[in-house]
Amino acid sequence: MDFTQETGYYAPIPQKATSSTNGLIISHPYPLASRSDSPIDIDGLSWPSIGTKQRLYETKEQKEERIKKLTEAVKTIIECIGEDPKRQGLFKTPERCAQSFMFFSKGYEESIEQIINDAIFEEDHDEMVIVKNIDVFSLCEHHLVPFTGKISIGYIPNRRVLGLSKLARIAETFSRRFQLQERLTKQIAVTLQEILRPQGVAVVMEATHLCMVARGVQKPGSSTTTSVMLGGFREQANIREEFLSLIKN
Amino acid sequence: MEERIKKISEAVKTIIECIGEDPKRQGLLKTPDRCAQSFMFFSKGYEESIEQIINDAIFEEDHDEMVIVKNIDVFSLCEHHLVPFTGKISIGYIPNRRVLGLSKLARIAEMFSRRLQLQERLTKQIAVALQEILKPQGVAVVMEATHLCMVMRGVQKPGSTTTTSVMLGVFREQAKTREEFLTLIKN
Repeated sequence: MDFTQETGYYAPIPQKATSSTNGLIISHPYPLASRSDSPIDIDGLSWPSIGTKQRLYETKEQKEERIKKLTEAVKTIIECIGEDPKRQGLFKTPERCAQSFMFFSKGYEESIEQIINDAIFEEDHDEMVIVKNIDVFSLCEHHLVPFTGKISIGYIPNRRVLGLSKLARIAETFSRRFQLQERLTKQIAVTLQEILRPQGVAVVMEATHLCMVARGVQKPGSSTTTSVMLGGFREQANIREEFLSLIKN
Repeated sequence: MEERIKKISEAVKTIIECIGEDPKRQGLLKTPDRCAQSFMFFSKGYEESIEQIINDAIFEEDHDEMVIVKNIDVFSLCEHHLVPFTGKISIGYIPNRRVLGLSKLARIAEMFSRRLQLQERLTKQIAVALQEILKPQGVAVVMEATHLCMVMRGVQKPGSTTTTSVMLGVFREQAKTREEFLTLIKN
């Protein structure tokens, strides 16, 4: 990570953190300060988890150590459910599964600035912009079982327009985490609000939760819908209605 | 059993820590236990026995036409990534004087799916089990599933599905019988 490059509109250039304990200055390998209430943290991360910075800035050996711990944990699970971790089909499963979990949680370490990549354009457009039916796949934080769905995002620009794929990329970043569907929808909306300061943001998500389809109450065909309306979408019913009818299939 | 749940919980807690999350935050506090219970549920098929499931629901019936139970929702775990794959199974058989209670077909599918599975093996196990229980004139099992391991990660192709089928007995030997079955299970 090169901290000296420009970071964009909204985050100051992060400094290497130092902290003082009993008069000794200790230098940390990653920035300590954070603004956990803001969608864009000091170093561009967005609501990182407690161990994210350590994971992001660790050395190759530490990363291998981490994967090794994950692999051991998965091997324990396979043994405990009564399977044979040495049979041919399961032999490399712990490693594959560890890589899967790292992939399913890569959203914590993505920096919003890198994702946006300066794709904000000054444009004299103040009509609704909608990107709908973005497939997202996330992990339910209560059961670690996937939930999959579609997100539709709409916003009314206020002279600043965002590159369209960036809406989908933001949805992807927040979904590759241990999530709650309500929180996922809100994080996307609040982030867009922060980046663009538009006249309004609306995010609607409809998802199927395997944790209630494949186990528990076992109701296939059920789906959960959450939505967040900010700005003009919240205050004016006709704008909200227009958005909702435009995202209907 | 409790020992097992405890060990799986510890393993899940390690996983949560390793990916950088905080196992003590409110949303994740009970996740290791819930996840352990989930894994035990997703692998309960190993401990079920065919006799208990069939429960003597085999009846002598003078019926030798095709019997089909289709669109049985099944949910299984891919043994390579421990990620779910979900799909529908359609089972057909031509009895040879012995008919099986219809829900038992679905129960057998459920039992074999609640394991660490390969879709090919799952289909075959259902077919071979029915062949063994009923000794019918023929058994056909077709399964169409979406594998989250290739939709959510890896090659990432949503909308892709995998279809496997096993044809035994007359379904294998006679093309017309097979065709009739495939037509009847089409939507």
